[in-house]
Amino acid sequence: MTGKRLIISAVALALVQIGFLSWIIAGRAAILRDGRQVLLRVEPIDPRDLLRGDYILLSYDISRIPVKLIANIPAGKLTSDDTPIVVRLKQGADGYWEATAAWFGQAPAPAASDEADIVGHVAEGWDLSVATTIAPNYGIERFYLPEGEGMAIQNDMRVRPFGIRVAIAADGAAQIKALMDGDKTLFEEPLY
Amino acid sequence: MANYSSRVRTDIARWLQADLIDVSTADVLTRDVEANERKSLSFGSILAMMAALLFGAAVLIFVAANWEAIPRLARVAALFAIILAGYVGGGALKTRDHAAIGEALWIIAAAAFGGSIALIGQMYHLSGDETSALITWGAGTALAAVALRSNPLTVASVGIADAWLFLRGFDYFGHAEFPHLFVVVASVLFAISFWTRSQAARHLIILSVIFYLVLLFTEHETLQVAVPLIVVSTLLFAAAIFAAGPVDRILQLGGRLPLHALIGFLSGLAMVQFELAGESNNSAFGIASAVALAGIVAAIVLGGRESRGLRWVAYAGFAFELAIIYVVMLQSMLDTAGFFLAAAVLLGLLALVILRVEKRMRARA
Repeated sequence: MTGKRLIISAVALALVQIGFLSWIIAGRAAILRDGRQVLLRVEPIDPRDLLRGDYILLSYDISRIPVKLIANIPAGKLTSDDTPIVVRLKQGADGYWEATAAWFGQAPAPAASDEADIVGHVAEGWDLSVATTIAPNYGIERFYLPEGEGMAIQNDMRVRPFGIRVAIAADGAAQIKALMDGDKTLFEEPLY
Repeated sequence: MANYSSRVRTDIARWLQADLIDVSTADVLTRDVEANERKSLSFGSILAMMAALLFGAAVLIFVAANWEAIPRLARVAALFAIILAGYVGGGALKTRDHAAIGEALWIIAAAAFGGSIALIGQMYHLSGDETSALITWGAGTALAAVALRSNPLTVASVGIADAWLFLRGFDYFGHAEFPHLFVVVASVLFAISFWTRSQAARHLIILSVIFYLVLLFTEHETLQVAVPLIVVSTLLFAAAIFAAGPVDRILQLGGRLPLHALIGFLSGLAMVQFELAGESNNSAFGIASAVALAGIVAAIVLGGRESRGLRWVAYAGFAFELAIIYVVMLQSMLDTAGFFLAAAVLLGLLALVILRVEKRMRARA
């Protein structure tokens, strides 16, 4: 490869990689800016990530969906496929949003103005009998913190209710916006 | 070496100018000089690569620390600057005959790309696990290897793919699905390695595929993995021994295909042996063990003289066979003292065999 071509390749490569990363950032910032805001009740599980540092693992109320809420389970189906799930949320009297209905795949009708649809993912093999619950992932199950702050917040979360303010895009993709301690905002995410 | 190659390159430029050779010939000659230049790994280039790896690790850990003193956007901008400066600066240095430092800068840029992925995940609390981040990182690094035709970047992308396989294979993040995608990844990287002239990457890929098959076996415990592996390894070994020239021209493994084939063969037979070990009737296990020992002897006889590495793989396989045969066939008879006695005898036997074979090989050489 001649010198000039190599430099051109290097510049193009750098721009492609930086462009790709910027595109992800822009997509996420767009959800934060334009998404529908809902407040979800959470409890912590356990921290730490190899590459990205301290985080709290979050388990939402909507991380457990009763099977009887899912409206479109085919008759005779015993276990779940690897599939997206749409969960319809509505604000309760205490301000937290709760699941009112759910569908595998897509929702049959768009959400009403006082509702919001969040899209999650269900792994294969969950028991679909009526009395059980399944556990979808929404891609918002981690909250990253500056090194050393993870444990303190996690311990507090065990004794009183915490909430996560989430922005939901029109396509149902969710993005964490803020960590709430009761009415107090602990961490608010800037767009970038 | 750098001196010689830079002289040749100025000569090539002069010949080109004097119309002694055409552009394509000049290109081929330059490439040949570059390819052969790479074979001599100098102490300096090793140090440069180690420095690059340390720097890359520092970048990744700095991201993980999530240090609030520097705003996130500044951190992103810094990483983007490292990516740009690393790739372009590395390219500039490479064309100015500082190939080792250039390649080292590319490694730093690739690490910064990985760091950026991690940082974005952290900024937006993305809970997709590390393995999908690793896939993106590996793909970006492979792209860089192709664009820059870089041997170290190819090895790096194989390394990232291996890390992914390792984490997924051992179910580190609690996923049930087996990482079958690795076969595709390995094939693509294998193809890339020819373009980037990365023999090291090819060796690493072949070993990784064997490792993948071992993982597959531990996951499913089936002979459907082991038997094809044994058959394919045997065929490859035969091809590598009896058609050494043509095979190596195609695969360009520096004549080390027999070594890989023997490792594959022994891994496959070890799977069979583990599978059969639990059965009450030991005759099938005995046959498998006999095949393994015969294979080891055949490998030494056919390829041992040319390759010291092959001999040592064979010895390791032999030691493993002694151990597993002992454990399966004889364990019920002996107590602890007996075990130590048997271990002493087996080790002595192994030493005797290795010493004799090495002596004969030396005598023949």
